[in-house]
Amino acid sequence: MKRYECLEAIAGEVGDALAVTTAGATTLEWNRFRPSDGNLMCKTLGLVSSISLGIALGLPQRKVLALDGDGALLMNLCALPTIAWRRPPNFIHIVFDNGIYESSGARATATSAGADLVEIARGAGYPHATWTTTVDEFRKEVQAALGRYALSLIGAKVEPGRCPVPPLELDEVENKYRFIRYIERSEGMKILTRPLPASYRRAPLG
Amino acid sequence: MDRQAGPRAILEGLKAAGITLIATLPDENLTELLKLVEADRESIHVPLCREEEGIGICAGATLVGKKTAIIMQNGGFLNSCNALTTTALQFQIPLLLLIYYAGDIGDRGFATVGTVTEPVLHALGIRTYLLRRMEEIKETVHQAQVLAWDANRPVALLLTKDVLGTRG
Repeated sequence: MKRYECLEAIAGEVGDALAVTTAGATTLEWNRFRPSDGNLMCKTLGLVSSISLGIALGLPQRKVLALDGDGALLMNLCALPTIAWRRPPNFIHIVFDNGIYESSGARATATSAGADLVEIARGAGYPHATWTTTVDEFRKEVQAALGRYALSLIGAKVEPGRCPVPPLELDEVENKYRFIRYIERSEGMKILTRPLPASYRRAPLG
Repeated sequence: MDRQAGPRAILEGLKAAGITLIATLPDENLTELLKLVEADRESIHVPLCREEEGIGICAGATLVGKKTAIIMQNGGFLNSCNALTTTALQFQIPLLLLIYYAGDIGDRGFATVGTVTEPVLHALGIRTYLLRRMEEIKETVHQAQVLAWDANRPVALLLTKDVLGTRG
């Protein structure tokens, strides 16, 4: 199976879950299949899981999907015990393992030599961590994770390969503002409100 | 001398600033402060394995409305530079960095990390304030957080042994 087939298969299943996508093709492919202001791209390789943890802890009533990759997760393996320590039940960690750094030269990662990211997640303390090898299996595991309200990691063994994607229409800063405004709208929160100038606070109007 | 007075003032400053998520990694000199953070029931405490992940955690929580801080040693600040650059600065996300200043005057064994700390902060364009006097702690912590949110950037506070109660 291919990563984009997996993404396409779950795009209609995840509802209003927030999604953070790892640096590279995953961001472009996810935004093709699930365009939303609830998507946040990650530009620091490896940090997608940690950013997702912060979102999951800050907004425990919302499901948060981390769309991670083998190269990224290998770069930030220490995220796994940190996430398992806090164990946010609204956190769904998806790892696409193609065995290569596909977006940065297609050289091999350590999973191509046998490093097993699901076993590492279990060892770190994830209560649910499982491999999937077909699109149907992957979709079912994601559905189960969305339904169970417990920290879950779903590994997808995928072949390398990208699909055609439209260019992203926004930069990081616009992504940030659209994501925050989406949270404000969908949660009825005020996040970016600035205090009135001091003159408004000191003296009555008129 | 009350060795907890400085750490208490730091926590009071964090509370005055509205900070409700704090990521931490220990240093011996941060022990009293971290005990207070661990005991605080009003904020979410995230113990880290490596400082760089803490930048991601704080950034994510900030985007959903939390005010956040990370407490770490300056060696850990150096560990976190890529995340500070390509997450905090690139997305313009405010964060408060509380950095224990190993290699400060009077210290032994950490002169190299002490020497590069302020130049690296300056190279990143991160405004930095050095805390040495007890009476300035609470207000400086609070106002640094105001600056971070006004500038949409990280702001750093360098915590010396004087304010952590570990001098001498």
